[in-house]
Amino acid sequence: MVSRRENNTQRIAALDTGAETLGLKPGMGIADARAMHPSIEVVEADPEADRRLLESLADWCDRYTPLVALDGADGLILDITGCSHLFGGERALLDDLLSRLFHQGLEARAGLASTAGAAWAAARFHGSQVVAAGQEAALIEPLPLASLRLERETCAGLESVGLHTAGAVMQVARAPLVRRFGKKVVRRIDQALGHVEEAISPRLPVPAFSVERQLSEPVSLTGDIEKLLLLLAKGLKDDLEQRGKGAERLQLLLFRVDGAVSRITVGASRPLRDPAIIGKLFHERLSALQDDIDAGYGFDLVRLSALEVSGLDAVQSDLVGPQAPSEEDVALFADRVRARLGAESLLRPVPVASHIPEGAVRLAPFAEVPAAGRGSAAVSFVRERPIRLLRHPDPVEMVAPPALNFRWRRAVHHVVRAEGPERIAPEWWRDETATPTRDYFRVEDEDGRRYWLFREIPLPAVERSSRWFIHGLFA
Amino acid sequence: MAKPAMARDAVRVLRHQIAKMEGRLAERLQSSDTCGTGSSAALLATGAPRLDATLGGGLPAAGLTEIHSAITRDAGAATGFALAMMSRAAGENGLVAWIGTGEIFREAGHPYAPGLAERFGILPGTLLLGETEKLADVLWIAEEAAALGRLAGILLELRGSPSLLDLKTTQRLHRRALSGNHPLFLLRQASPSEPTAAPVRLMVAPIAAGSRLTLRGPLYGSIGPPGFRVSVDKSRVSPPATFNLEWNLQTRSFEERDHVSAATDSVALAAATADGSHSSPAFREVVALAPSPGGGAPGGQPPGEQHPAHRRARHRR
Repeated sequence: MVSRRENNTQRIAALDTGAETLGLKPGMGIADARAMHPSIEVVEADPEADRRLLESLADWCDRYTPLVALDGADGLILDITGCSHLFGGERALLDDLLSRLFHQGLEARAGLASTAGAAWAAARFHGSQVVAAGQEAALIEPLPLASLRLERETCAGLESVGLHTAGAVMQVARAPLVRRFGKKVVRRIDQALGHVEEAISPRLPVPAFSVERQLSEPVSLTGDIEKLLLLLAKGLKDDLEQRGKGAERLQLLLFRVDGAVSRITVGASRPLRDPAIIGKLFHERLSALQDDIDAGYGFDLVRLSALEVSGLDAVQSDLVGPQAPSEEDVALFADRVRARLGAESLLRPVPVASHIPEGAVRLAPFAEVPAAGRGSAAVSFVRERPIRLLRHPDPVEMVAPPALNFRWRRAVHHVVRAEGPERIAPEWWRDETATPTRDYFRVEDEDGRRYWLFREIPLPAVERSSRWFIHGLFA
Repeated sequence: MAKPAMARDAVRVLRHQIAKMEGRLAERLQSSDTCGTGSSAALLATGAPRLDATLGGGLPAAGLTEIHSAITRDAGAATGFALAMMSRAAGENGLVAWIGTGEIFREAGHPYAPGLAERFGILPGTLLLGETEKLADVLWIAEEAAALGRLAGILLELRGSPSLLDLKTTQRLHRRALSGNHPLFLLRQASPSEPTAAPVRLMVAPIAAGSRLTLRGPLYGSIGPPGFRVSVDKSRVSPPATFNLEWNLQTRSFEERDHVSAATDSVALAAATADGSHSSPAFREVVALAPSPGGGAPGGQPPGEQHPAHRRARHRR
């Protein structure tokens, strides 16, 4: 039994069949229930956990249709238009769904009808039932008002004027009904009967292309999954080729026997449809995720979807064989690195028009740099810059102030030559916060190491002597 | 009379083939007349004639080359030398990759594209930067990159002597770089000499930069082109030798500085011996060189049968 705090008292939120046979009802005070049956077990309600369970169930329901929507806190709506024949008809689909849920230890009720409203009523007030098209009115008429998906206040209002069943409400003249109880009552009736379209918004965007395979014997080895993946990728390639598309983001869905669903996504920096390349990308991703994917008792449904596609024209291949290695190779390499280690592990520098040393170059993931900018882009950098720049300038201690001898990382460097200063002022038009101006020096110590030092010129408002930093290393 | 000569020729050809299969430098000492045709195509000259001569023509143009710095503070010089060689390998538009651990980038500074473009002519559009925290991941990226034919050069930068970087790993890197047909520079900061599969190991230390040249001659007290002290620490064809070099961007090559002092440092090239026994005194000295005392953790020592790959593999032949 689950309790919930409501109006400052603990009340029963939900209960199992055992508790129901004892005569307890939802909404009853916990104190009363305990007084009647001291031995009952009460658990505090956890709406967050319930929500998570419902969402994971919705994920699992993806195996029947990609259009799955959450319905309130305790229901799911599946749009199975065009999917039922894959499972041997509507009745078979419903039975399959219920038996699989039962084996997962969940008690579920389902209804199947031509409209979402009728299916909702069938599920909640009839138990598992398939409603034939045109029979919605016959189904709903004898049911109580709650079957019309109305708020409790509206139901109470309707009951107070003597309308106790849905059928009774349907027979009443519409105009007074709308005037007294609002448009919603009429709209709900129309939706249930199919007079008005009702939009179901799915949780996840529907992928443009999907290929899946049901397995009678679940697989759990990564090698098997990769083999399957190649088969699926071949199927996907045909679909993509027909439309002249290539996939830019791909998702692999692994449905575990006990209901858990793993989603593995990889991105490509250019559209692709070659099964071997898709296989390679997922190979990297799978080996990186090895510990995170728990195969458990195995996966019994594997699906490969192309989430994002863009145009990809077929390239005429050469009679003499594959073409010389090109930028493609590097793009594939970058994709594999990204699939395995994340987008931040392979970067390209992009010059930025800024005279601040640390702002003059930006590091961007490989895929983000436009292809046109690669190669021999004309760049004009200022002269005398270090080859390595410390991400954060390191403070150094000047040993004997007039000379530039300094202590960095516990070692004293005796400067024998110095060039400078090069004064670099902050970009006052960009940042509001006052940044001090810097005087940069190139220095060389007695061993021949060359460093880039700067002195911060204190702001007029601050009473402080100037501080020194090391910012980079020269060759 | 003609028969032994022919047999020797056949042996030489076979040796060459074996060397090629093993990914070693074609042996220069064995026969001075074949090296010109057989090996010069696969070498990357530094541009400094005496260093090139010592190395038998240059660094290998494909495969692994180790470049060490003694301490992290010398990172600038070692990096500079490696980048200069990459710049020579890549030319104007070759794509190069610089892959390193997060640790060394934090310690010694991140690659700074403006400086690379200015000093070594490596433009931002031709540079790929790889960085991850885990060494295993860095090595994975490097291995994948090494097999890419499109790259003109790879710089793999690490710090210290991690146990992961053993003989097997470096062998794999070496093979992959050979198959990709480009040089892979293993830049190891603050690292002692250790047994690896690299045929050549250089130690690089900084020396004072040259002066800036003006119309009136060198400008006193200015900091001009960078200087490097390059020591050949391991090579199949060269005794240990030290050179003072200066990088010239205009010609994209190294120039040797103060010939006289350098000449006294370096030992004369070992001459080829007719019968293959290493009788040259200079050469014996090379073979007898023990591994550096502090070289690597005890666990890093290879087992007995792997030992020939350690430092100088001379006596293996």
